[in-house]
Amino acid sequence: MYNLFQRLGSITSLAMSMFMALLILISATTPFIPSNPTHEVTLHDVKTTTGRMVDPADRTSRSAEYARLTFDLDADLTSMFNWNTKLLFAYITADFESPGFDTNRIVVWDRIIRNTRQAKLRLRKNHNKYFLRNYAKTFENVRNANLTLHINPVPYLGIMYDKSMTTIPLDIPRPEKRASGA
Amino acid sequence: MELLSQAKKWGVRSLLIQGLTFLSVLTSAFMIWKGLSLFTNSESPVVVVLSGSMKPAYDRGDILFLHNGFSPIEVGEVVVYKLNEKPIPIVHRVMKVHTENESGKQYLLTKGDNNSADDRGLYNPGQTWIQRDEIIGRVKGFVPYAGMGTIWMNDYPYLKTVLLGTLCVMSLFGGD
Repeated sequence: MYNLFQRLGSITSLAMSMFMALLILISATTPFIPSNPTHEVTLHDVKTTTGRMVDPADRTSRSAEYARLTFDLDADLTSMFNWNTKLLFAYITADFESPGFDTNRIVVWDRIIRNTRQAKLRLRKNHNKYFLRNYAKTFENVRNANLTLHINPVPYLGIMYDKSMTTIPLDIPRPEKRASGA
Repeated sequence: MELLSQAKKWGVRSLLIQGLTFLSVLTSAFMIWKGLSLFTNSESPVVVVLSGSMKPAYDRGDILFLHNGFSPIEVGEVVVYKLNEKPIPIVHRVMKVHTENESGKQYLLTKGDNNSADDRGLYNPGQTWIQRDEIIGRVKGFVPYAGMGTIWMNDYPYLKTVLLGTLCVMSLFGGD
């Protein structure tokens, strides 16, 4: 009646259609799973220095101003883990406006959280993981600076969606004069 | 020889009709692809992850659905970009964004989650930032491991010939 290939063929095409339908359902429903994370960032200190070669890939880094932040972070992200969460990507950005540039956003710290055991964050007096400098060489005339914590869940399958952020103001001071000079 | 006699039995007309059906399937697939490229403003709206530089979020063989759109790139987004001189697209996260207010020109720096250094070593010599037009798209959705077939075919080219050969043999002798 029906040979092997025909049976295999119709099973495969049914499986593909079912898979597509499942994919669409999962993608559409995952962003709506409720969660109530808590997070709080406290900034302790910002220090700006210049005159040291910090970035080997960037020739201008010797004379540019680099800011070093000291901050605390408290967060409980366990409720953000649902059946479709592979990991959480938490990152802190420094945003500011500068002359000629409307938006400047720089990731200064990030962490990958893989399960609920790692989801309770308690950081004290941490420094920024990545260099914080302006596109221009100096932070002079920088306005409206703030630090924002974002939490981005990555699903096992489906659409990427954004969740959760917290903003605190940031003030980048002028650099201290160094005796050794730039 | 039995193939020729089978062909004569069907007649030229039905052979031509079969050819036409085949061509229209091929062209509608092509149209769907190009239409998707237009809608997402991306030259390649579906890509396969080739390296492990974004582990554990994206692993080799994941299929990514991209949407480029026209809006400026935001920090923290995972983007696929292709440098102007290099042929390979790279999937990494945007770490720094500087947007000029007059021209809207963006200066972007990317880094793979699994890499300790940012991508300046990967850029063209002398290039410290990438531009908006080097971005193929932002990752909007993905299906894990669905693209492993493409990776195997790239790594073991004889698989391609084996697959093609099997398909040809099946289509010649399967239609009874």
